[in-house]
Parts: sequence; structure tokens; C-alpha cells
Amino acid sequence: MIWPIILLIATPFLIGVSGLVVRNRQTLDVLHCVQAGIMVVSSILLIDEVSVSGPVSFFYFLHADAISAWFDLVIGIVAGTGTLYAVGYVGEQYDRGHVSLKRFRQFFLLFDLYLGVMLLAVNVENLGIMWIAIEGATLSAALLIGFERSKGALEAGWKFVILSSVGIALALFGTILVYYTSEQLLGITEEALHWATLYEVGDQLDPSAMKIAFICILVGYGTKAGLVPMHTWLPDAHGEAPTPVSAMLSANMLTMAIYAILRFKILTDQSVGTEFTGTLLLGFGFFSVGLSAIVLLLQEDFKRLLAFSSIEHIGIALIGFGLGGLGVFGGLWHLLNHALAKSAAFYGAGLVLITHEHKFIARVPGLLRKHPAAGVALFVAGLVLAGMPPFGLFVSEITIAVNAMATAPMIAYGFLGVLTVAFATLLFQILRMVLGVPMETHGSTVGVRCRAFSTAAIAVNLGALIFLGLHVPDGLHNLIGAILPFFHAEGEYF
Amino acid sequence: MPNLPINIGSYLVNLCSALLLLTCFAIVAQRRLMACVDLFALQSVFLAVTATLVAYLTGIHHIYLAAVLTIAIKAMILPRILKKIVRQLNVQREVSMYVNIPTGLLICGALVILAFFITEPIVHLGFLLTQDSLAIALAIVLIGFFIMVSRLKAVTQVIGFLVIENGLFLAATAAAYGMPLIVELGIFFDVLVAGLIVGIYTHQIQEAFGSVDTSRMKALKE
Repeated sequence: MIWPIILLIATPFLIGVSGLVVRNRQTLDVLHCVQAGIMVVSSILLIDEVSVSGPVSFFYFLHADAISAWFDLVIGIVAGTGTLYAVGYVGEQYDRGHVSLKRFRQFFLLFDLYLGVMLLAVNVENLGIMWIAIEGATLSAALLIGFERSKGALEAGWKFVILSSVGIALALFGTILVYYTSEQLLGITEEALHWATLYEVGDQLDPSAMKIAFICILVGYGTKAGLVPMHTWLPDAHGEAPTPVSAMLSANMLTMAIYAILRFKILTDQSVGTEFTGTLLLGFGFFSVGLSAIVLLLQEDFKRLLAFSSIEHIGIALIGFGLGGLGVFGGLWHLLNHALAKSAAFYGAGLVLITHEHKFIARVPGLLRKHPAAGVALFVAGLVLAGMPPFGLFVSEITIAVNAMATAPMIAYGFLGVLTVAFATLLFQILRMVLGVPMETHGSTVGVRCRAFSTAAIAVNLGALIFLGLHVPDGLHNLIGAILPFFHAEGEYF
Repeated sequence: MPNLPINIGSYLVNLCSALLLLTCFAIVAQRRLMACVDLFALQSVFLAVTATLVAYLTGIHHIYLAAVLTIAIKAMILPRILKKIVRQLNVQREVSMYVNIPTGLLICGALVILAFFITEPIVHLGFLLTQDSLAIALAIVLIGFFIMVSRLKAVTQVIGFLVIENGLFLAATAAAYGMPLIVELGIFFDVLVAGLIVGIYTHQIQEAFGSVDTSRMKALKE
């Protein structure tokens, strides 16, 4: 059954392009609601398909195995709720006269293309085309970050363009090196860039070339994943972009970059063994978690706060992948739950930003009482992000810690140490916002439409988080079972 | 392999790659923005010549297409966009830099040595014809990075990015005998769009900040 993957990837492109001819706002809203529905449903159907009957491929172009399906789920669900939220959020900007109809249509064109290329990146078979799709995501994101054209937005956008271009250039160099190495085995053919083909001959690739290539890939795509010390664009971009875009950057783009790194990690491991890549991932992971855990405390701006929390969680997932074994399960589970929780937190933060028109943590106390939707979103997502049971991030963090304890106790102590700091600092900041007595300064109220769309988006995300905290669907269980062998990992999970 | 013996072919490819590297140094030493754009266009022409040579010597035809696209996009369209931007701005010269020119040239020299050092263990994997190009390509990429971080003006940062792209393209054509056609087309498309987006950005930055001096943009930090 091929259509879930086709629908998932084609829908955002088709609906995005249809925005060029549709001039009516109502129609655009309806189209995007349809898009949101299709994305969520087809990514779930794809999970069932791949977990039951194995990899799905389409010509020699798309090829989705269990790893792709996993990232399709992460990106697809969040892209669906993000689309819903964007309809509400940008619609509200339009109702308030901040954006013209032309800009409104431009936004959705870019936003849909952005989602489309991200989904393409995790499903294409050719590593060169994967690079092109990721570069496409960079370019559309660059325009989306600068969308509001304020000085801050332009600065953040420029920083993003420059840093990401450098990163992505390095990633292309890594890809070229892989091709340079593999064509000695496979000949000058397109196959020499297909990951499924490469995995069959991975153990014959030259180890020193693969090492250099992997370093280029890790630093290159790591820039897009916001790994410390290449993270400097990330808080600025998350802070200044329109909120739906911030949510998609955090939940989807960072995840997509990790996907790209994992694809190359699997290949490099076949040639040089897991220790080389594992150590590198652990190093970058610890730097990311360590730095952001402390910086979280210093933040005065709630969107930047969530941005640093993203750096932290990507770092945790990286530590999981670096450890190998069941840490891989921890990393995957972490990425899924983080994407859901972080986007929900951004949806809440966006509502606060609309009503208060500033981003100071200290000046928005009492959100639970004053803006229940935003308050609940930030509160629950904050608990999840801090790693409270029964939610998924608790499961993944505990898995990674236990796994580290079994293999390298020092890593486990360090990991638990930084997690404690991050837990305390993030929760402290979130509680400052959601609890307490609201300030007298009356923020404006949100339109009915925006409230309805954002509440729906928040409800789906929080519902999914609670569901995944209490129950693991068979499809996901089987999918993880199919992914672990790629990393030479085995064991009992759940 | 057509008429040319392999050592002469290899010699010619190396000569062209070296010319590419030389134009990098010229860009690093150049303060005038218009001249930087011209040098970039010249570098792209050398790149196209290298690609044509490789295509001729190996008989891989789609590299000819890449050479034509290089001329069209990197030697004609992008320089034209960049010159238009430079003309709209009130600055023609870059007076202040993070690193002065003589030091910059020395650093670039060191980067070239570094590139040869890094690629040393893997060059023997490559094709005989173009074995040295990989090191030169990496050197060009590194110098491009250096241009991006050492200059303040948005336009020169963009030229740094395009120099990196040229280095990557040299790596792809000379060292790996060209990426698959569809990948190459996609990369060209992305570079073109990147050029356009950067053009849009410089225009907006100029309007908002009254300058394209990126050192003025420092509101966002911890």
C-alpha cells in the first residue's frame, strides 16, 4: 500500500502551490484543515504499513524503512497540529491588520513547502537528494524566520542563513566524500548514493574516508540540529520567528537533522565500528545538555527559554544514540515525545505572545488563571519537558540512564547530574509563568477563531502525550523492534 | 579516454584547480566589493573549464551540462544580482575587517596546508586523473569559511558562501567525477534560490538598519 507515504509528502506541496491561485482566506483555512488531517492520519497509517509489511518504496525515489516511518510519525503529527495552529495564529495577525492578505498567502506557501521538504528529506532514498531537501528546508525556514521583518527578525534570519549555509555546505562535502568512497566499490552510478545499497556494502568502505565524512556530516547537519557549539542561531531564530514557525523549527527541523546524522552514523558504524561515532555523539550531546541546562536559568524571554530547552533535549537524544544498545530506543522515544511536548509549549507561548505582545517571563505570571488554554499547554508541556512521570520523556531518560549505568557508570552520573540541573531550571521558569496571581496589565483577548484552532492543536498534542505515556501502541513497538538491529542493539524495551 | 595521455590530462585539471585556488587568495586580498564579485565570476569560469576538461577526459557527458549551468548561474546570473545589490548600497569598499589582509593571506596559506594534511590518507582512493583536486577543493571550502567569518559586509559574506559552493562543486566534479545528474541539478537550484534569498535579505537589512554592516546586528544575545 503506497498511498499513505505519497499523500503525506504530496499534500503540503499541492496545498501550498494551490495557495498561489486561491485568493480567498476562508478557502485557504479549509484547505489547511484538510492538510492537517491528512498529515496526521497518513503518518499513522504509514506506521501500520511499515511495521506490518516492511519498507515501502516508490520507484527509485522514495524508500521508507522503519527509521523513516518513525521520523515520518514525529514530523507528520506535529506538522499537522502545527498547520492547524498556524491557521489560527497567522489568521489572528491578519484579523488584527498586522499582515496583509498577500503576506498571509505568502506565509502559507512557504510554510507548506517547508513541511513538504522536511517530509521528503526523511523518505528519499538518495543521500544527495536528502541534502537538497534539507537545504530546501533551510531556505524556506530562512524566509519564515524573517517573516515579521522587524530588526530582531532580520538579525535572526541572517544569522540563520549564514550559519546554516556553512553547516549545510560541510554536510554536502561529507556527502561527496561518501560518494567518492562508495563509487570505488559500486562504480559511477546513482546507486552509490542510495542508503539501502550503501548499507549492503558498508563494511567494505574505506574507514579513514568514512571518518572524515562523518565528522563533516555531524558538524554540518549538527549545525541544523542546534548542537552546542554550533547552536548560536537557534535561540535567536526560535525567539524571533512567528510562533508556529518556532514550533516547527524545534519539533521538526531539529528532528530531521538528527535523522540525517543517524543515517550516516549507521553507515559509518559498518565501516569503522560504533565506538568512533558513539564517542562523538556523546561529546556533542553532553556539551548541548550541559550548556543549555545552565543557560535556561538566565532566560528572561519565554520563547528563548523553550529554544534552549530544545537544545537540551536534542542533546539527551544524542547521548542515547551515542550510547547505543537500548539507548537508541531511548533516543527515538525521546525525539517523539519531545516534538509533541515542545510544539505544545510553543503553541501556548504563542497565545501569550499574541495577548501580551511581549516575551518577558517575569511579566506573565498567573497564566493558568488568566489564559487557561495557554496556561495548561505550558504547564503540562513543562512537566513533560522536565521529565516527570508518567510521560514519555521520563521513560526515555530513565532508559538512557539505566543503559549508561550498565555500560559506563561515569557517563550515567554525569547524565543524571545535568538532567537534575535542567529539570530544576526549566520547571522553575515554567512555574513562574503559569502559577501566581495575574498582573493587572490587561492583555488583549484572542479572537474566537484563533482560540478554537490553537485549543484544538494543543489538545491533540497533549492528548497524544498522555496516550503515549500510558500505553504503547503495537505499531510503535514493532517499529522499534525493526529499528534496533540497524544499531546492533537488542534487549527488552517497555 | 580520448587522445590526451593521462598525465597531461591530469596536469591540466590540476592547473585549473590551482587557478581556482589562486582566485580565492585574490578575493581575500581584495577590499573593493565590485572587484570581489568579478573575481568570483572569474573563479566560476575556471570551475566550468575544469568541469569541461573532466567531462572531455572521462567521457561522462552530464558533466558538460554542469559546466554550462556553472557559467550561466555562477558566472552570469549571481554576479549580476550581487552587483545590483552593491550598486544599491552606499559602500563600495570594505574598510574595516576582523582580520587585516596580510594576516588573512597567511591564515589562508595555513588552511591550504591543513587541507592537504586532512585529505592525505584518502586521496589514494580517488581516480588517477584528478587525485590532487580533492585537497584543493577542501582548501577552497576552508578559505570560503574564512572569508565568511572575517568580513563584516553582508555581500562579502555571501561571496564567501559562494566560494564554498565552488569548492564543493570542484570536489564533486574533479574528485568524484560528478554527482548523479539529478543531485547536481538540485544543488544548482538550491544555490540559485539561496542567492535570491540572500539578495532579499540584504535589501531588507539595508532598509531596516541603514547599512549592510552585519556587525551592527548584535541585539540578540544571552
